[in-house]
Amino acid sequence: MALFRRRSLLQGSFGLAAAGALARPYIANAQAKTMTMWFAQGFVEDEDVALRKAVAEYEKASGNKVELSIIPFAPMRQKIVSAITSGVVPDVTQNNPGEILQLYAWQDKWIETEDVVETQRAKFSRTALSAAQAYNDVTKKRAFYGVPIRGACVPCHTWKSLVESAGMNLAERPRTWDAYFDFYKKVHDNLRKKGERRVYGLGFQVSANGVDPANLFNAFMHGYGGEGIVTPDGKLNLDDRIRTAAIKACEYLGGAYREGYVPPSAINWNDADDNNAFHAKLMVMDVDGTLSTEVAVKEKHPEWYFDEIVTDGLLYPTTNDGKPVTSLIGMTNAVIPKGAKNVAVAKDFLKFFIQPNVLQEFIETGLGRWLPTMPELAKTAFWENPKDPHLKGYVQQGLLGPTQPDYYVYNPAMAEVYAQHVYSKAMIAVAKKGSKATDAVDVAFKEIKEIFAKYPIQQS
Amino acid sequence: MTAATVLDVDRPAPRPRRSFWRYWRGNLKGSEFTWALAFSVPYIAVFLAFVAYPVSYGLWMGSDPALYSDVFSDVIYQDTVVNTLIFVALGVNLKLFLALLLSGVFMRPGWVTKVMLMLFVLPWAVPQLPAFISLHWMLNGEWGLLNNALWILGGIEGPSWLNERWTALGCAIASHLWKWTPFWTVILLAGRMSIPQDIYDAAKVDGATGLNRFLFVTFPLLANLYLVLTLLATIFLLGDFNTVFFVTGGGPNNETHLLATLGIRNAFDLARPDLGVAVVMTALPVLIPLVIILMRKLKTAEVQL
Repeated sequence: MALFRRRSLLQGSFGLAAAGALARPYIANAQAKTMTMWFAQGFVEDEDVALRKAVAEYEKASGNKVELSIIPFAPMRQKIVSAITSGVVPDVTQNNPGEILQLYAWQDKWIETEDVVETQRAKFSRTALSAAQAYNDVTKKRAFYGVPIRGACVPCHTWKSLVESAGMNLAERPRTWDAYFDFYKKVHDNLRKKGERRVYGLGFQVSANGVDPANLFNAFMHGYGGEGIVTPDGKLNLDDRIRTAAIKACEYLGGAYREGYVPPSAINWNDADDNNAFHAKLMVMDVDGTLSTEVAVKEKHPEWYFDEIVTDGLLYPTTNDGKPVTSLIGMTNAVIPKGAKNVAVAKDFLKFFIQPNVLQEFIETGLGRWLPTMPELAKTAFWENPKDPHLKGYVQQGLLGPTQPDYYVYNPAMAEVYAQHVYSKAMIAVAKKGSKATDAVDVAFKEIKEIFAKYPIQQS
Repeated sequence: MTAATVLDVDRPAPRPRRSFWRYWRGNLKGSEFTWALAFSVPYIAVFLAFVAYPVSYGLWMGSDPALYSDVFSDVIYQDTVVNTLIFVALGVNLKLFLALLLSGVFMRPGWVTKVMLMLFVLPWAVPQLPAFISLHWMLNGEWGLLNNALWILGGIEGPSWLNERWTALGCAIASHLWKWTPFWTVILLAGRMSIPQDIYDAAKVDGATGLNRFLFVTFPLLANLYLVLTLLATIFLLGDFNTVFFVTGGGPNNETHLLATLGIRNAFDLARPDLGVAVVMTALPVLIPLVIILMRKLKTAEVQL
């Protein structure tokens, strides 16, 4: 007698499929101590190595398993938005881009993390603690939704060799804001006189792509004394001081482009293009977030890293009247989405991860592209290495000097201002369309007011 | 005998009503029906999971009428509609007209033509993303291959191709033509090859040679195919994302977006998936009639080449 007939084969197949479907929950339960984590891929491989090492150490210490996904920087934003929209979320994710923390906290999409932050609260900088908080429009209160991992500020990167080939000495660069940037215009003019047709003095991202243009505009606003466009309680402040600074920033940035001191393609750069252009020696200097410009060449071109490129923190140029410039810090936080399946393991991992020794190794193995979030971690041999021409100024600017969190921390409306590229539109109007800076800023401020009207903060 | 009775006699006997079960099973009997079901279930499951569900979810996300007032009042959207119309009109017509002409060239006998055809289809064969990213770099005003070549060969200072709306959009259209013309050429080549030689021979006897041969033999016989391809290319191009996203990035200043790239920008850069879906939904009033016409033409095209 045959073992199988057609009917019994079909019945058996359906039976197996049904049994498989029913058996899956058991497998899931067996992995109850496995958590998933998403993190953005580093600009250099060492950053990913550092993260994997920290994760491996946690797995060894706890017996839990971390399913780590390292995702390219730009697509990660799409992945997070898709996850939050669909409800299929990881247990931990990095807030990439930074404002995702505040945008989704507004909609009550994250789990509170104060119990995690509390374990190291005394060690974090005030800026780090502030940037880990956000306003929740459902509960009408501000709370911790992030766990500070690392920070970044916007320094100036300069080719010393190009300054010298223009017959000038970098040590003679002035210390005040306008004079500091005018110095590079003079470098540009000298290079032109020497027949150099493809090197530009200034690498300003006057485009409407990515996050760099907003960072650049904010740096110039602060350079002109225009700090505080959003107050810590989330209110918009467009008083005369802010307006004057915005007009000066718009005029300088747009004007430099219009006058030919900025590469023409900068009008359409995305976040990586200015790095590539700088490495191609298309411009003498670039104002760009993190030390990615420097660490990207450290291994392949150590002579560039140690001898040719100079990093100035924004403490180097002061405001025009000699006051130090407060740096805006973009903080990387870890966040736990609502709907995460293993919140306990996620919090346990984050408590492990923010221990000072773990964070120190994580940051330093990543070559110092990112800043520590604890002032004590800046006083290590790594950051104080006298042979390194970049790290000391960078950490001084972004951790030890005057800092504050980016404005979207105070009100997520600012995240929409950045995403709609309101500042970029003003810069481009001056740079390409010949608009007056006052008119461009008035248009921008009108749009900013409309955006803020959608994000009323009732209680701080 | 009454008239009614006569009519009753002429009318065919009413067919017995089939039960729902009989209708559902068709003419399949016994285990045949079970087998049919077993083979259909995976397809139905895939269709539900990857077509019905996402489309319904998208329709649901874009169902709030308030979204559309946001979309229509957005200046970037207004520019985007103009860009999309230009991109589709020029992209489809230039591409298919070129493909029609080139397919004639590739009908010529000889090994040179075969080698040329092989080289010609290469842009279509290379993956889209690296191709478009390379074009983006080649078009860079300062260090791109194109402007460097202009400078070296003729001392000409090339323009910043991607810095102005119209040159950037033109570059996107040219990139699209470069990438996709070979594909449509091969299809039209296949269409030309299926025209029987007898017809050409008969036309030759009647004195139809050269342009007349094309106008009165080839083109009328390819007309239906050409129309179907035009509809198909229009539907494809209305949803095109890669060309603009990787060649111009939607810039400068968000001036070269198409509906698909603007939808992605709104969905992810603004973290507003509903607004992104709404942008794409505004193409439906054009897309749905096109699909219906295409379906109708396909029925005709079955018998007319």
